[in-house]
Amino acid sequence: MDRETLDVDVLIVGGGPAGLSAALRLASRQHRDGGEPLAVAVLEKSRQSGSHMLSGAVLDTSGLDELLPDWKTRGAPVETPVRDDRVYFLTERSQLRIPNILVPTSLHNRGNYIISLNRFVRWLSEQAETEGIDIFTGFAGTEVLYEGTRVVGVRTGDRGIDKSGARKGTFEPGVDIKASVTIFADGVRGNLTKTLIQKLRLDGPLPQTYAIGIKELWEIPPDRMPTGRVMHTLGYPLRSEEFGGAFVYGLPEGRLAIGLVVGLDYRDPLFDPHMAFQRFKQHPLISAILAGGQMTRYGAKALPEGGWHTIPRCHVDGALIVGDAAGFMNSMRLKGIHLAMKSGMCAADTAFEAVRAGDVSASQLETFQQRVNAGSLRRELYRVRNAHQAFGAGLWAGVVHAGLIPLTRGWWPRGLLSSEAGHERIARLARYYRTERPDPDSTSHPVKIDRTVTFDKLTNVHYSGTRHDEDQPVHLLVQDTDVCRTRCREEYGNPCVRFCPANVYEMVPDGDDDGRRLQINASNCVHCKTCDIMDPYQIIDWVPPEGGGGPEYEGM
Amino acid sequence: MILVIAEQRDGVLNKASWEAIVASQQTGQPVQVAIAGVSLAPVAVELAAAEVESVLTVEHAALGAYTADGFVAAFAEVVDQVQPDLVFLPHTYQTREFAPKLAARLGRSLITDCIAVKQRDDRLAFVRPMFQGKFVADVAPTGPAPHFASFQIGAFRPDAVTQGASAAAIRAVDVTLDAGAIRQTVEPPFQEAKQAVDLTQAERIVAVGRGIKAQEHIALVQTLATALGAEVAASRPICDSGWLPMDRQVGSSGQTVSPKLYLALGISGAIQHLVGMKGSATIVAINKDAEAPIFEVADLGIVGDLFEVVPALISALAAD
Repeated sequence: MDRETLDVDVLIVGGGPAGLSAALRLASRQHRDGGEPLAVAVLEKSRQSGSHMLSGAVLDTSGLDELLPDWKTRGAPVETPVRDDRVYFLTERSQLRIPNILVPTSLHNRGNYIISLNRFVRWLSEQAETEGIDIFTGFAGTEVLYEGTRVVGVRTGDRGIDKSGARKGTFEPGVDIKASVTIFADGVRGNLTKTLIQKLRLDGPLPQTYAIGIKELWEIPPDRMPTGRVMHTLGYPLRSEEFGGAFVYGLPEGRLAIGLVVGLDYRDPLFDPHMAFQRFKQHPLISAILAGGQMTRYGAKALPEGGWHTIPRCHVDGALIVGDAAGFMNSMRLKGIHLAMKSGMCAADTAFEAVRAGDVSASQLETFQQRVNAGSLRRELYRVRNAHQAFGAGLWAGVVHAGLIPLTRGWWPRGLLSSEAGHERIARLARYYRTERPDPDSTSHPVKIDRTVTFDKLTNVHYSGTRHDEDQPVHLLVQDTDVCRTRCREEYGNPCVRFCPANVYEMVPDGDDDGRRLQINASNCVHCKTCDIMDPYQIIDWVPPEGGGGPEYEGM
Repeated sequence: MILVIAEQRDGVLNKASWEAIVASQQTGQPVQVAIAGVSLAPVAVELAAAEVESVLTVEHAALGAYTADGFVAAFAEVVDQVQPDLVFLPHTYQTREFAPKLAARLGRSLITDCIAVKQRDDRLAFVRPMFQGKFVADVAPTGPAPHFASFQIGAFRPDAVTQGASAAAIRAVDVTLDAGAIRQTVEPPFQEAKQAVDLTQAERIVAVGRGIKAQEHIALVQTLATALGAEVAASRPICDSGWLPMDRQVGSSGQTVSPKLYLALGISGAIQHLVGMKGSATIVAINKDAEAPIFEVADLGIVGDLFEVVPALISALAAD
């Protein structure tokens, strides 16, 4: 087949905060150092920059200050300073506000800003384009190109393939983009980074652990929630065996961001994160804020919570890994955007010098690791290196550990470090429920959906704006769907139906008796990656759909 | 005076034309209707039944098959001859192609995809959705007349057209067309799918959802549809399972319909489906689950087993 090829000096895969910070840093190094300009390209799977971006989000501006010190005059959509910080512990019917003096300093947000990551990234991409960087939106990388074990670029997906895999009239083969250095910024559980880590065995000392964040935007009656108020909650609707918490952020003009983050290392196979989020919204503290309001947007995204010990080796011959793809996130502060940006900048400096030096080998690119170790990335992450693992021993162990970090500097007995990946922690029905025989189609602690405060997944999906061309191959590859209707149904009760926040997976009746088969509603997918992460058999592979498909997270 | 540009193909009127006529009648201004093509007499007679001043037929050999160049040239001449204050069009695919060009050719303003017309102060304002339907805006045209406006299909009811006491006059308008100036050549029409159905033109639709349980029960739905003279449509899961072809799907990833009667069988009413059919004149829902959201949009609802209700409906229709 005839494929077009494109040669660049630095290819950045993924136009999120990490990728675009790398791009902008390359541009500024160019200005500073002069010389032959480097050709830089950014691949982004969404049709429009920022469309697939979702976060809480409270921004620590330290990364932005470093990248674009004049961000205020450039009109960055970073406009809502945090004015009020509140942390609550919830029980089913009541709440206890934790006095600020007892709240770990890591959760203090003074000086930070509440932002829409969607708008922030769109703005970053405008800044990058002004600098003459080409951002190819609507193009997903589907394959890493190697020469031996050296990464030499990325292949983009073919377009115009129909459901059955045949070429349509509009067929266009993917393009090979060859680069001296490829920077993988393909986000949490990035499809290319995943294959790269497997092929070159780059895993960190501990397996990565993830969480899923589910978020809605609301318009609420005035005076319910002051602009700039940040609320975080612990406890209900999660049990001490589930790691996570919820957030409510007051935005200007009567808008509000609300969400729940749950560790993807829960044990109960009938647990449903989306259902837990509905229960959160029914809590008296929360429903009083939402009553009479309107949900306007919905989305979900996984986040890497494992921390320092789970970060893979990020430098190989010809490539670097940055941002969420590598796991640069601080789960104790619930923040990662600034770390993504800083890691992107470190990668840009490393790539720039490597290309100029004409040496893009792993040993040259190792300076990335040195930059990470010498700077604020390690300083921030090393302190909380054991935090997620401590919470793995239960909520209270985690709270005590987090509270003692100023004394212990994050020490945690090595013997208690869990080396289990999240999908290994999910328990079998028989083990979790012992003698009970729960219905595999049920959910633990279901609530009645009222379609005013609580919503079913399908209604929520509508508000994610997700769209995919229907006539294309399913982009969620399940190696063996027989496992679903036989073993998984018996052993785990098909948890994919519950952990997917977008109603992609359904077990539909098959035949007249009690038989079921897996139906994949691929066009509902919001690209959160939870299925790829949490499937207990690890037989689900998330691959990018035809370029451009996916959610439309305007304002998220 | 308002000039409505109606649309026909092979002597069959596009029923969206009636909607544009309704929009023009609601303004209270005199209305003329123009139609272009060849052998237009039967369509003209059909249009003349409406309460309008006259029907203008624009016949020319070069207009036999629709081309943007041909229609722009022809209607530019017609507008020049009849000097209307406003030109209304149904927002069809054809309109989408030639109307902007026509308005640009004449240097006039065009407001597309309107859903209503209202009097605002001393002039007309056109109501149109903006920002993907998030807002509706009142838009008033500026610049010299005539102003062009196209109307979203389904925004007006074709059966709301006021009929005239007697047939309107039919008048032929001559246009001088240079066939050589038409840059497009028209290939015979083809259908990509083996039999694409245009559900948007159906007056009655029987739609089936997951409640049908198995493919072999589709036949039951088909029987009811035949008895009602209706098209069969489906919600997404049915088409996903391959029980009915994709071109029968109604909803956000299928067609948007507004029939006189929409009978929903075993459809729960996910929002993705509702956005495709909530404009129907009368919605009748049959569902086992009394809490199903479909009942929130239904005019008539039957809480019951469709396998009991549908056979009863079929025999009742047969008894008529």
